[in-house]
Amino acid sequence: MIMNHPGLPDSWMWLAVMLMLITVAWTFVKTPKKNSKQVFIAVERIPLLGQLAKLFSASPWPLLIFKFVSVALFLTVIAAGLWGTPIAERNLATTLTWTVWWAGLIITVFFLGSAWCAVCPWDTLASWLVKRRLWRRADAAASLGLKVPKIWRNVWPALAMFVGLTWLELGVGVTTNPYATAVLSLVMIVMSTIYMAVFEGKAFCKYVCPVGRTVGFYAQLSMVELRPREQQTCSDCKTMECYHGTEEIEPCPTHLVMGSLKQSTYCTSCSACTMSCPHNNVGWRIRSPAVEAIQHARPHWDEAWFMLGLLGLTTFHGITMLEVWEQALSRFGQLIGDSGQLIMSFSVGMLLVFIAPVLLYSLLIKLTQLLLPNKIDFKQLFSKLAFISLPMAFVYHIAHNLNHLIRESRGFTDVLMNPLGSGSLPLSSQELHMRHMSPLMYEELLYGLQAGLMFFGFWLAMQILQRRTMESISEQSGWRGYYLLPGTLFIAGVTAFNLWLLAQPMVMRM
Amino acid sequence: MSLLKTLTVACLIFISGVPVYAHHVLGRPSYSLGEDSNTPPSMQVETQIGDFYVTYMAFPAFPKPNEQGRVNLYASRIDNGLPFEGRVTFKVRDDRWFAGEEEILGIQNIDDSVYRQGFIFQEEGDYIITAEFSSGGEPYLIDFPLRIGEPAAVGPIGITIAILFVVLITVNILQRKRRFSLKAKRAREDNNT
Repeated sequence: MIMNHPGLPDSWMWLAVMLMLITVAWTFVKTPKKNSKQVFIAVERIPLLGQLAKLFSASPWPLLIFKFVSVALFLTVIAAGLWGTPIAERNLATTLTWTVWWAGLIITVFFLGSAWCAVCPWDTLASWLVKRRLWRRADAAASLGLKVPKIWRNVWPALAMFVGLTWLELGVGVTTNPYATAVLSLVMIVMSTIYMAVFEGKAFCKYVCPVGRTVGFYAQLSMVELRPREQQTCSDCKTMECYHGTEEIEPCPTHLVMGSLKQSTYCTSCSACTMSCPHNNVGWRIRSPAVEAIQHARPHWDEAWFMLGLLGLTTFHGITMLEVWEQALSRFGQLIGDSGQLIMSFSVGMLLVFIAPVLLYSLLIKLTQLLLPNKIDFKQLFSKLAFISLPMAFVYHIAHNLNHLIRESRGFTDVLMNPLGSGSLPLSSQELHMRHMSPLMYEELLYGLQAGLMFFGFWLAMQILQRRTMESISEQSGWRGYYLLPGTLFIAGVTAFNLWLLAQPMVMRM
Repeated sequence: MSLLKTLTVACLIFISGVPVYAHHVLGRPSYSLGEDSNTPPSMQVETQIGDFYVTYMAFPAFPKPNEQGRVNLYASRIDNGLPFEGRVTFKVRDDRWFAGEEEILGIQNIDDSVYRQGFIFQEEGDYIITAEFSSGGEPYLIDFPLRIGEPAAVGPIGITIAILFVVLITVNILQRKRRFSLKAKRAREDNNT
């Protein structure tokens, strides 16, 4: 039996479109400022949250408790996947991994940044196995500690892993296969352990992990960041415990220096810096979610591709859940004589959807190059403006995942009580209807959130476009609104398509 | 077909698709109770091969050794939806590397648009059922998984533990060697000075 989630109603869609048009008009008329004032609120100053933040910064134990919980759940997922029922909606492996964790994780990034990485079970298990310490600094001899070869010191491996994960998820159907989900989990443990045993720091998290990098890039749009409390204290610091560690505390696993940290992409929120700083100068603060992607993050060629990859693949997720997708896949499969599972057809379709935004984006860069008064290298502009894809990918990812989380996670407590699904039967038509008709959130609120998110992503992308374009022109050249035209068309085109995707009925996953 | 041509054709097809009800990932098993919750659970796999859509259903969804079970096979043409009306041969083999000989379960004629094949397995394990027919001079072979009894999943865990063990032991040995040669080097330097 097939159930479809209803799409975003027209009224909400048009409201979002109207707000976007106003944003475009305002962006074109307004002359951008070179330096905007930034406002931060230290989390320590907020009642309750402050105490909580202090607790996590002062002692390793609260984080360790969370790590134990995450590892315990992870091991249960593996056991459920290997020995539990193959019925996806009754097994903890598939429901927890794909419906709750993978769908909910992206939403948490907005509020908690890369906090997930701090309790990630892949990394925790790898650390425990290789370093044989619960949290204290390990003997340097525990790992070979080799430097990652220069050719691998980029996010290309993470992009390849992310593409691979999407292919497994949507093409091979790992999301509905508890056994395959468990095997995938084991593969991730093996990979992270090998990396930790061979290379220094957390090379797997920094360069390979598709989840870590996705979380890392999206963390640029988070409302929290880990930064020095007083910049001057860091400037005067000669010992740099945040970077080198102390006798007890590990050094920063991704080699970040707190004093010069401008970008959260590679921060794993591990708390090593907060615990090792002798001046107690590192803390969480609340910020505008726009500030990092708009001006602080530095452009890099490989990172630009990762951000565009995120945009293409998140949109691809939506496309594959449309009714039209399977029909098109079937036709193409018949034409090329594909196997029964249509893997080749799926791969070609995925490639097309991945390539389309990159080609459009390249066109935008070429046109912007022509419009700008001074000559700027294609690769440089490509890397610089790629940040506009980040908010579009992020908001669509959240809006899409909200559908899964709100409409498909009902009944999760039953699965939690019987993680292996022993003796359980598949969902009956009545249960399917019940799930379908009673989402976890009031439906209009869900629509409002989705429309609001799409507008927010659009607005953020326009801000980034304006700021990054302005940075690309020389001081002498005056500002002209038409410099933004190609970028605006790209942002509007992608957002309109994603909005249309949200408005379509979406096939229920499980 | 060149890559560019393939991509162009794919692009046109993907753009011109007409709405239909999407199902599950093709070729992967899905489980259902059917319209009536009183019916026993069934396992269903849908796939596409050549000119046909093929749907395979196994009853019960989780058959046990020495328990009577049945597979139903529906094959309909993709272009006009008409059912295939020839004979279908059902075969079975173990789903493992170096599997033994295939055995014929039976040859079935169509009965009310369905090909029905009964089975009883005496041993637990993972099996592959092959449905074989020919149409338009072309042979069609479709494999479907069938698990009898409880799964034995020591394999992936065993492989993981073995790999981790080898990696950790290797790193340990290499580090001991490194330390030893460093000590020896230092001792030589001390002797020289």
